[in-house]
Amino acid sequence: MNYREFLTRLRLNRDDLRLAITCFAGGVLLAIMTGPEGSLQDPLYSVKHALFSSHVWGFLIFGIALGAVSIYRRKLRDGLLTTRRETPRRSIRKSVADYVAGTGMVARVVTFVVALVAALLVADYTGPYVPNKLSFHRIINQFGHTRTYGYILVVFWLLNALRVNARPRNDTVRLPAWMRSAPAKIAGGALGGLFFALCADPWLPLSFRFKFLTFSGNTNHAFFHHWTTYLWTFAGLVVGLRAANLERRAATVATTRRRPARKVTVSTNTRLALYAGGMFVAIEVPKWLSPFWQETIFQQIGIFCLLAIGLNVVVGFAGLLDLGYVAFYALGAYTNAYFTNALPIHPPFVLNAFYSIPFAILVAMLSGVLLGLPTLRLRGDYLAIVTLGFGEIIYVLASNLTNITDGAGGTGATGSFSVNVPGLHFALNGQALGDDLNFYYLLLAFLVPILFLFNSLNHSKVGRSWAAIREDEVAANSLGINSLKYKVMAFAIGASTSGVAGVLSSAKLGSLFPSDFAVQLSITVLILVIFGGMGSISGVLIGAAFIGWLLQYLIFHSFIDYQDADKYMYLGAILILTMIFRPQGMLPSRRRQREFHDADEGLGTADAMGAASEGPLS
Amino acid sequence: MASYFVLGIFTGLIYSMVALGYTLVYGVLRLINFAHSEVLMTGGFAGYFFLHYTMPTINVSTPMRVLILIGAIFASGIAAAIVAICIERFAYRPLRRRNAPKLTYLISAIGASYFLLTLAGKEFGHNPSATPQPITSNMSWQVFGAQITAFDLVLLAVTAVLFLVVNALVTRSKVGRGIRAVASDAETASLMGVNVNSTIAATFAIGGFMGGVAGLFVAMSSQVDYNMGFTPALLAFTAAVLGGIGNIRGAMAGGVVLGICMYVPIYWIHQPFYEPVIGFSILVLVLLVRPTGLFGESLGRSA
Repeated sequence: MNYREFLTRLRLNRDDLRLAITCFAGGVLLAIMTGPEGSLQDPLYSVKHALFSSHVWGFLIFGIALGAVSIYRRKLRDGLLTTRRETPRRSIRKSVADYVAGTGMVARVVTFVVALVAALLVADYTGPYVPNKLSFHRIINQFGHTRTYGYILVVFWLLNALRVNARPRNDTVRLPAWMRSAPAKIAGGALGGLFFALCADPWLPLSFRFKFLTFSGNTNHAFFHHWTTYLWTFAGLVVGLRAANLERRAATVATTRRRPARKVTVSTNTRLALYAGGMFVAIEVPKWLSPFWQETIFQQIGIFCLLAIGLNVVVGFAGLLDLGYVAFYALGAYTNAYFTNALPIHPPFVLNAFYSIPFAILVAMLSGVLLGLPTLRLRGDYLAIVTLGFGEIIYVLASNLTNITDGAGGTGATGSFSVNVPGLHFALNGQALGDDLNFYYLLLAFLVPILFLFNSLNHSKVGRSWAAIREDEVAANSLGINSLKYKVMAFAIGASTSGVAGVLSSAKLGSLFPSDFAVQLSITVLILVIFGGMGSISGVLIGAAFIGWLLQYLIFHSFIDYQDADKYMYLGAILILTMIFRPQGMLPSRRRQREFHDADEGLGTADAMGAASEGPLS
Repeated sequence: MASYFVLGIFTGLIYSMVALGYTLVYGVLRLINFAHSEVLMTGGFAGYFFLHYTMPTINVSTPMRVLILIGAIFASGIAAAIVAICIERFAYRPLRRRNAPKLTYLISAIGASYFLLTLAGKEFGHNPSATPQPITSNMSWQVFGAQITAFDLVLLAVTAVLFLVVNALVTRSKVGRGIRAVASDAETASLMGVNVNSTIAATFAIGGFMGGVAGLFVAMSSQVDYNMGFTPALLAFTAAVLGGIGNIRGAMAGGVVLGICMYVPIYWIHQPFYEPVIGFSILVLVLLVRPTGLFGESLGRSA
C-alpha cells in the first residue's frame, strides 16, 4: 500500500496532509519560540527542551489540534461532511436580538439593572488601589459615593445607544428642536462632563459631605483631580461638538441626497457612546491600577499611542513607509535635553521642559522636511530604506558623538516640568514615584487635541489629497494635486508628533540613552499602526494599547519562557500574519479596507509607493 | 591611504555578494527584500557550526583546511538559500497570490526579518562568538604599501568564482532564461510556459546562496552574532542601488565602489564609526543624483 492509498483509506487528500504538517511544524516552531534561551555551545537546547519537556508539549498539541480543525473546516467547506444546521444556539441569539431591538419597559429595566451592576463593580474598582477587592460589602458600600451615580448614567447611556443602533431606524424618537440645536448639544456636553468630573473627582477645596453621600475620590493627589476635571470638561465639550457636527452632517445628507450613498454601520448615538466610553477608560481606568501598571500606562501605552498616531499619518494616511520614525523621537528628546541644559553643550538660554516642546516640534518638523524633500521624490521602497538609514545614522551619532550627546553612557538629568500661568500651576518630577499618572494626564492633554486635529485633517482637503495619492498617484497628479507637497506635509506632521513624544518621554525618564532610540522602536511603532489598522485612528489607539499591555503582561506572567529581547519575535510574527490574513488591520478604517480590497482586484495601489503594477506581482 | 583603499575593496566584495541577492530579487519582484539581512545571518551561523564541528582542534593539515573551507561555503550557502526560499514561501507568496499593494510586501518582509533575527537570538544566545579560522596562513603581500592577506585572496577568489557562476547561470542556463523572462514581463512569461513561482524561488535561492557565503566571510572576519546581518545588509543595499538595482554586474561593481568610498574618508577623519554614516550619505546622494545607479537598472537588458 503506497501512501496515496493510505490517504484515500483515511479519506484525506494531499492538501489535508500538507495542512496538518504545516500546523504541526507551526506547533514545533511555537514550542521553540516559547522555550528557554539556547547558546552557541548547545544550539539545540531549546529544541530538545521543546520536544522533551512537559510544559511545551501543550504547544505541539495545539499545533495538531489546529491541523485537525483546519482539515475539518476544509472538508466542511468542500461538502464532504454533512452537519446538522439546527443548533440550539440560534434561539439564544434570537432572544438576545429581541432584547436588543426591544423598546418596551422590560428591555429598559434589564438595561438599567445591567448598568447598575456594572457601575457598582466599576465604582468598587475606582477606589484607590488596594490588593483585595470585590467583596459584597464593599460593592454595596459604593452606593454611598457620588461617582457610582455618574457611572450608572454613563453605562446606561452606552447600552441604550448600542441598542438604539441595532433597531430599525424609522422608529427612533425625535427630540424637540431646541435640544437638537448645536449650542444645546455643546453646552449639554460640557455640563455633563463637568457633572461627571464632580461625581468622580471633587476639585473643590471643601470636604463636602452629606449624611450618607461622600464626594468620592482620592484626595491625596490634589493635582490630577483638578487636571482630570479639565480633561472631563474638555471631553464633554468634544462629545457635544461631535454631536452637533454629526447632526448637522446628517441633516445635509438628508437634504442633498435621496438615499445615503453608503451604508451607515455605526449610528451617531453609538459613536458618541463609544467616544464617551473611550474617554472614560482613558481617564478613569489608570487611577485604579497598581503603581507598576501606572508606569506602564504612561511609558508604554501612552507614549506608544502618541508615536503610533504620528506614524499613522505617514503610513496610514499618506501610504508611505517610514522606518526611521524613532529618529524624530530622539531629536525631540535631545532637543529637550539641550534646552534643559543636560548636554555637554550649553544652550543660550535654559528652558523648562514644558517650554522646550515648541522647539522640539520645530526641530523634528524641520528635519522631517529636510529628509523628506529629497527622498519623497523617490519610489516608496527607497524611502523605506533611506529612512531606515537615517534612523541608524541618528542612533550612531547619538552613541558616538560623546562631546555633544554624552554618548552611550546617557545624558545628565533633564529638567522637570513646571508651568506657572494663571489658572494652571503644576510641577512634575519624573523621578518621583507617584508622578506617572500626572505625566499620563499631561500626555493625554496633548494626545486628545492631536487626535481631533488629525481626524479633521483626514477629513479635510489634505486628507482627501492623501487618499487620492494612495489610490492612484498618477491620476492625483494629473488632477493638480502636488503629491510631493502632501507627502512632505505628512512626513513633517508625523515627525513633529514624534518630537512631542520625545520631550514627554525624556522629561519622565530623566536622562537619555541612545539605546532607547534604536531602530527596533521604529519597528515596534510600525507594528502598533499595522496591527490596529492603518489609517484608522481608533484602531491604532486600541492596537497600541493592546500591544503595549501585552508586552508588559508577558514579562510578568511568564507562562512561557519570555524575555524582553524576545518581543520582536512575537511582534514580527504578528506583522507577517497581519499582512497575510488582514492587511487592513484589526479595526480598519472603512476607506483603507476598501482600498485593500480594490487592490486585490487590481484597482489602485492602496499605498504611495509608486509603480506597483509592474513586475509579476499580479 | 592605500591600506584603507584595499580594506575598502575587500569589504566591498562582501557587500557585492549580498547586493547580488537584493538585485536579483528586485529585478524579478520589483521589491526590496528586507529580510535579506537574516539570510546573511543564517549563512554566518551555518558556517560557524560547520567550522565548529569540523575543526575541533587547531592542528588540521592544509589540504584538509581547503576542503573544510569549501564545505563551509556550501553549508552556509545552502542553509541561507533554504531560509531565503522559506522567506519567499511564507512572507511573500501569500501576498503575491492576491496582488497585494507594495507596502504590505515591505511590512511583511520587515516582520520576517525581525522574527528570524530574534529567533536566532533565542536559539543561539545573545552573546557574539568568534568563528574558528580555517585560513591561518600568515602570508601577506605588500602592494603599494597596503597589506594583502591570504584571507583577502581567498575572499577575492571565492567572490570571483561565485560571480562568474551566477552570471553564467543567469545569462546561459534555462533557469536564468526563466529569471530574465519573469523580470521583463511575468505575465507573458507565464503564458510562455515559465513556472513563475518556481522561478521566483530559484531567484531567492541564488541570492540566498550568495548572501550566505557573504555571511560566512563576515563571520570569519569578525564574529557571529544574532544581529550581524543588519548593517552589512543595509550597506549592501546601498551597493545594489549604487550599481543600479536589478543589474547583476552593477551590484558587483557597486559593492567595491561603495567599499572604497566608505573606507578612504576614514583615513582622514580617523573615526571608524562614521562608516555607516558615510554609506547612507552615499545612498541618499546616489538616489538624488542618479537613481538608476552607475550602470542602469534592468535585469532583463543588461545581464
